[in-house]
Amino acid sequence: MIERILDVRLIDNFEWRYLGVIAAILALGVLSIYSITHSVQAGRLPLYARQMVWILFGCAAFAVMLVADYHKIARLAYPLYGIVLVLLVVVLIVGKASRGAQRWIPIGPFAFQPSEFAKLVLVLVLACYYAKAPREGWIQRLVLPALIMAPGLLLILKQPDLGSGLSFLAIYSAMVLVAGVRSKAAGILLLSSLMLFPFAWEALWGSLHDYQRERIMTFVNPAYDQGGKGYHGLQSRIAIGSGELVGKGLYGGTQSQLKFLPEGHTDFVFAVFAEEWGFLGVLGLLALFFGLIMLSMEIAYKAKDVLGALLAAGVIAMIGFSIVVNIGMTAGIFPIVGIPLPLMSYGGSAIVATMAALGLLLNIKRRRLTLFY
Amino acid sequence: MTVVDPLRVRRIVAALLLLAGFVIVLFRLFNLQVLQAGELTLKAERQHEKAITLQGGRGTIYDRRGKVLAINLEVPSVFGVPTSLEDPTPVARELGRVLHVRPDEIEKKLKQERSFVWIARKVDPEQGRRLQRRPLEGIGLVLEGRRYYPKGTLLSHVIGFAGMDGDGLEGIEHRYDSYLRGEKQMVVLQRDALGRSVFPKGFTEQGPSSGHSVTLTIDETIQYIAEKELEEAVAASRAKGGTIIVMEPRTGAVLAMALVPTFDPNSLGSLYADRWRNRAVTDVYEPGSTLKVLVAAAALEDKVMEPQTILFGERGSMTVANTVVHDHDPSGWMTFAQVLERSSNIGAVKTALALGPDRLSRVLRAFGFGERSEIDLPGEAAGLVRDSRSWGRRSLASIAMGQEIGVTAVQLATALSAVANGGWLMKPHVVAEIRDGKGKAVYQASPQVRRQPISEGTAQKLTRILEGAVSRGTGKSAAVSGYRVAGKTGTAQKVDPRTGTYSTTLFIGSFVGFVPAEDPRLCILVVIDEPQTEAWGGVVAAPVFRRVAEQVLPYLGVTSQAPVRVALAEGESIGVRRAGRAGP
Repeated sequence: MIERILDVRLIDNFEWRYLGVIAAILALGVLSIYSITHSVQAGRLPLYARQMVWILFGCAAFAVMLVADYHKIARLAYPLYGIVLVLLVVVLIVGKASRGAQRWIPIGPFAFQPSEFAKLVLVLVLACYYAKAPREGWIQRLVLPALIMAPGLLLILKQPDLGSGLSFLAIYSAMVLVAGVRSKAAGILLLSSLMLFPFAWEALWGSLHDYQRERIMTFVNPAYDQGGKGYHGLQSRIAIGSGELVGKGLYGGTQSQLKFLPEGHTDFVFAVFAEEWGFLGVLGLLALFFGLIMLSMEIAYKAKDVLGALLAAGVIAMIGFSIVVNIGMTAGIFPIVGIPLPLMSYGGSAIVATMAALGLLLNIKRRRLTLFY
Repeated sequence: MTVVDPLRVRRIVAALLLLAGFVIVLFRLFNLQVLQAGELTLKAERQHEKAITLQGGRGTIYDRRGKVLAINLEVPSVFGVPTSLEDPTPVARELGRVLHVRPDEIEKKLKQERSFVWIARKVDPEQGRRLQRRPLEGIGLVLEGRRYYPKGTLLSHVIGFAGMDGDGLEGIEHRYDSYLRGEKQMVVLQRDALGRSVFPKGFTEQGPSSGHSVTLTIDETIQYIAEKELEEAVAASRAKGGTIIVMEPRTGAVLAMALVPTFDPNSLGSLYADRWRNRAVTDVYEPGSTLKVLVAAAALEDKVMEPQTILFGERGSMTVANTVVHDHDPSGWMTFAQVLERSSNIGAVKTALALGPDRLSRVLRAFGFGERSEIDLPGEAAGLVRDSRSWGRRSLASIAMGQEIGVTAVQLATALSAVANGGWLMKPHVVAEIRDGKGKAVYQASPQVRRQPISEGTAQKLTRILEGAVSRGTGKSAAVSGYRVAGKTGTAQKVDPRTGTYSTTLFIGSFVGFVPAEDPRLCILVVIDEPQTEAWGGVVAAPVFRRVAEQVLPYLGVTSQAPVRVALAEGESIGVRRAGRAGP
């Protein structure tokens, strides 16, 4: 059976497109990281090369998630969640502080970010919970899953990691909508309020005074805008806007290359890309991301059981939310909360977790073809 | 299962919501990258770009012996970074104290919303050192090339000067600017977020190369002698100004070009801007009697006159075309040679009338009057020689006396040099050599013949007559003991600008001559403008010629070949060549 799954000859047209889109996004990410960091000496291994190592790890995670039966993976959901919670506690104790937040566990030369994995594990846990038995009543459908999510969410917000916290809420809402809430209206309201939150936020947020915003933001996210009055957001907007229609060309970005734009290789990698590739390049990249979401939705739609469909929905929510919020954040229509751009931002944990999630999706797609197992 | 249907709706809703997210983000990006693109690009450029001009050092100017006349010095310039300043007031006060500038002016500069502003450029090195010892927040120093003229006023009219940004504005600095100026590179400096300057990619770090050095034909010592003597003469005669040109007749090389009043190119005020002009090339004047030399040259060349031809001096008064021509020193019968010796107007007028307009005009033009001498200095005037077809008798008479014709000092010195040079008119020049930054010669001046207005025989006859003008005639005080001098005085009335007629009080006294007459090494023109004490060229200008020649000839090691006059029984005198300096 494993042979069958890994048999290249059996990769169909859909899967080629799926893998192709992922590979293209990863490649653009590495290229952008290379573009912004190639002139900087950073340790023994340049950042883009390190990212490529992370992608190799990600491929391994992708393969593991693809090969194992997702039902068996789902059975490990609660133990995995337990491990994640322990790691989140460890982060708070021994965590490496960076920019006012403790998100990383140092492992040798690397830093491990449990919150990235926590999102995927949350998808597993919630899918598992809803798939196990038909859940009746609003307590079982809404409150219990929220209670399951709560310790992870609280630990993440304690770091504080507002971005991951919002991702948790997004995953929860999406899965409630798909599997839980009886009333369509309530579900739609829940999800749409979450999806539109960034933009509603802007309207609310925009009505506040600068100092009020700063107070609120430093309360929920001490990492927010240290030492500069909206510097991050302004530089990001300038970088994106000055890319104009056709961009400044690879390595030609001035704002990013000259370090006006902070975090160019991590959370703001999209701004680097937009500056160098312009609006046309951005259209292409968004098409790739949208294509990935559409393919994932097809998997979710065609999943042969509830568990598969719920897992797929969770993964889509996790990735889709990150894409929209990250780009919205760099484009200045959402506060800067620190969510990486899936498959593009530099960061081992995020790459491995995202690729594992995408491996799981493909797993779900493949299982529906294997009628006998 | 009944759940399938609502589940499907929910999935569609979820998909639509995600799609909405994408659309909103896309709209925002369109807004930023297309609608606001221009504005944001401008912001980006303001942040990271600053165009600067890098320029290699300006080339050095040397005299013919390699003495430095103009050189580049690195001096500090003070700039401010207003955006990094919290409170510009105390900084401005401190700066004003050091730089001796009003603090409120500095403060105004520092309050601008800019990241770079010049506060004072090319300041005194001592002020720079003081600022370096006590660094001020948001204030920086850079070294810039400043032009320095170590000899001050010496040769200032020829050298000219370069401006603050290293552009040659006058004189050699202007004329040879394309050689002297260092290679210019426009570099758009990019500044990173920390304000460090970053050179754009692909920029060679070699930088612009420095300019070529220019060696002049001018000799600093001769120039000094000429300026000193001119200044003394101008002061003694309370004249408005004066000019001396010392030229090498065989090559046309200018050895000295002195003008009074002078200016110091190191400290230019706008007050004396009219002094910057090199009047020896830019200004036209009526030469007066010195032009008689060239009228005589025309007559000798066309065999209208011979040195021994006898003319009647009309006892000092003659009427030509209803105008009375006077002689200062009335004569009866005289030889043509004596016409020049005595500077007889009547003799000169008769000569010009005998020549007629065509022949006179042809020779004058051949000597270079009415056209630029093409000396390598900026702003040269062509002079004024009217069309000979319009010359009547009256014009001929005027021109014979050096009126109704406008010449520049350089033209006259060049024309007399041609007489000294066997009739060959050379192209005057002040630059001997140009070398590039690595010392390789890119240009070397060689003597250039323009034409030969008179034959060598004519030149020799004329030279002998001019020797007489010095030894026996009006130019006696130009005689240099131990050398044979040929030359001619000139006293020209200036046109009074108020009346438009010839003034009786404003004169130009001049002397032009060459020495030694038998083998001319120097042609010297002395012009004294509006002397107050005495107008006569023989009195105000001729002695200056002598004093310059007396000092320059030994300096150049020119040996004396003046004849020792020995009285013979027949009453004739013959020249016996005295030996020069004996052997080694």
